[in-house]
Amino acid sequence: MSEIVVLLKPALNPDMLRADQQGNLMLDAIKLKLSDIDRNAVQLANELKQKIGATKIVGLAVLTWGPASKRQKDAESALREALAMGVDEVHLVADDLIVPGDPLTTAQALKALFDKLGLNPKIILAGEATVDSFSSQLPGRFAQLLGLPYISFAKKVEVQGDKVVVDRDLEDYIETVEAPLPAVISVTREINSPRLPTLIQIRRAFKKPLKTYKLADLGVSLQAAVELAEAKVLMVKRKQVIIEGDTLEEIAEKLIEALKAEGVLKI
Amino acid sequence: MVKVLVYADMVKDALEAIGAAQTLGGEIHLTLSGEAAEKYSEVAGGASSLALIKGETTDEIAGGLIKVYDTVSPDLVIAVSTKNVKDILSRLAAEKNLPLAIDSQEVSLENGKLQVKRNIMSGRATATLRYDLPAAITLPPRKFKPATPTGSAPAPTTVEAGPAKVKILGRKEKQRGAVDLESAEIIVSVGRGFKKKEDLKLAFELAEVLGAQIGCSRPIAADLQWLGEEHWVGLSGKKVAPQAYIAIGISGAPQHIAGILDAKIVVAINKDKSAPIFKAADYGVVADLYKFVPVLVQKLKEKKGA
Repeated sequence: MSEIVVLLKPALNPDMLRADQQGNLMLDAIKLKLSDIDRNAVQLANELKQKIGATKIVGLAVLTWGPASKRQKDAESALREALAMGVDEVHLVADDLIVPGDPLTTAQALKALFDKLGLNPKIILAGEATVDSFSSQLPGRFAQLLGLPYISFAKKVEVQGDKVVVDRDLEDYIETVEAPLPAVISVTREINSPRLPTLIQIRRAFKKPLKTYKLADLGVSLQAAVELAEAKVLMVKRKQVIIEGDTLEEIAEKLIEALKAEGVLKI
Repeated sequence: MVKVLVYADMVKDALEAIGAAQTLGGEIHLTLSGEAAEKYSEVAGGASSLALIKGETTDEIAGGLIKVYDTVSPDLVIAVSTKNVKDILSRLAAEKNLPLAIDSQEVSLENGKLQVKRNIMSGRATATLRYDLPAAITLPPRKFKPATPTGSAPAPTTVEAGPAKVKILGRKEKQRGAVDLESAEIIVSVGRGFKKKEDLKLAFELAEVLGAQIGCSRPIAADLQWLGEEHWVGLSGKKVAPQAYIAIGISGAPQHIAGILDAKIVVAINKDKSAPIFKAADYGVVADLYKFVPVLVQKLKEKKGA
């Protein structure tokens, strides 16, 4: 029997940033959400589940924003989104020793969790990047630690028996590759359109298992690999002038004059 | 002096990574594959060592790079970001227990620590991060000044690629129009405010009279596919720096705004006055694009004719 594993991230919600007067992010006050592209990975897991006869979809996650003691509920509600979408159970590592997180320690914690659970998946899926860090490195690290083939930036995934054929979406071309399973695959936003969960699915998600672990539970000791010296809101000062007028002609006239005055329009 | 391992598969990327390594005062050890390996004489002048990896898949190249890493034992690994480079370095970083800072906008070494600045929160914030060495970083393309290599190139050694678990079956070039958004002076950009594909001609007319290139938001390129991906502006698309960026019918999702931070002037045309794009614009026009854009085109034509 084998599972599908999906890597999930409770990510800071970039649409709900909070900052102080000086523009310093108030990280502890920003809510978590399930990272957007993780939904595409879950959607693909749903599509593959029957096709490959997987027993269940297992979500693995590591808390990267602390403090862990105060984040528990927040992280859980982010992960419930994945349970509502079709993941059968979620396992979360939440430990202040590896907060703030770094993909280095996150991948190691995931590996320890994976081993602890004794998983034997046919395929491991993840989003190509996360909305808060956007570094595209976690799936590759995880594959390397497991010694599995890794295929990044998948736009199309087709399981054929014991192998997988994937279209990789690269800058200048689409590359079709083949690898034996099990393999780790990171998916792009364009691979599918995730379906919103129904009310029944959302309610059912609260009954699904969501377990939390400390590093000690996994028998590993890790320490934070990064020092977050500063996090600031990116201020690009725009003038925010709304051009008004009695007619559209007048507005067009004023806009053209404004652009000429800025020196960006030469007519 | 820090030892820097520079990896690249394209000449222009190699030169930018070397440029960044030079500003850190590093002793440079080059590892190249692909096009950069074929043309190594264009980049290897002054390097302390040169390794060429034979291999095509990212797992082969990562395997080769890990071997070079063991030989050189560098303090820092630097490469310019491409999707394949992120793939390759993530494997190296896991294997060698290194932190990896992707798309570092600023890089410095202080008291034996690496300090980088990179964008987080979908381009809405920046983080200053410090790591112990050894560490690895990637640089955003076209951000760092390319080096001008001088001096003689070291004799290249060829590195056997690592074992390939992944096989390439084929490659298909993406369709490219004559679009070059990165160097455009003016960009007219379209979003979901356009109800159907044919209506984009309103924007095309404006672009023609302005001599502008056409950009678009994610839904237009990725979901509706009314325009090719080469027009897509944003975090996952192109990051642009025109003199003027004219956003028509674009609501202004943070991922889109992240692509236009370097525009000199941003103009927004949208009928919804609460659209977030107005907060990210210098000049806003709250109007129905179907009515306003033709008027704007007419006015510009009159002025050009005069």
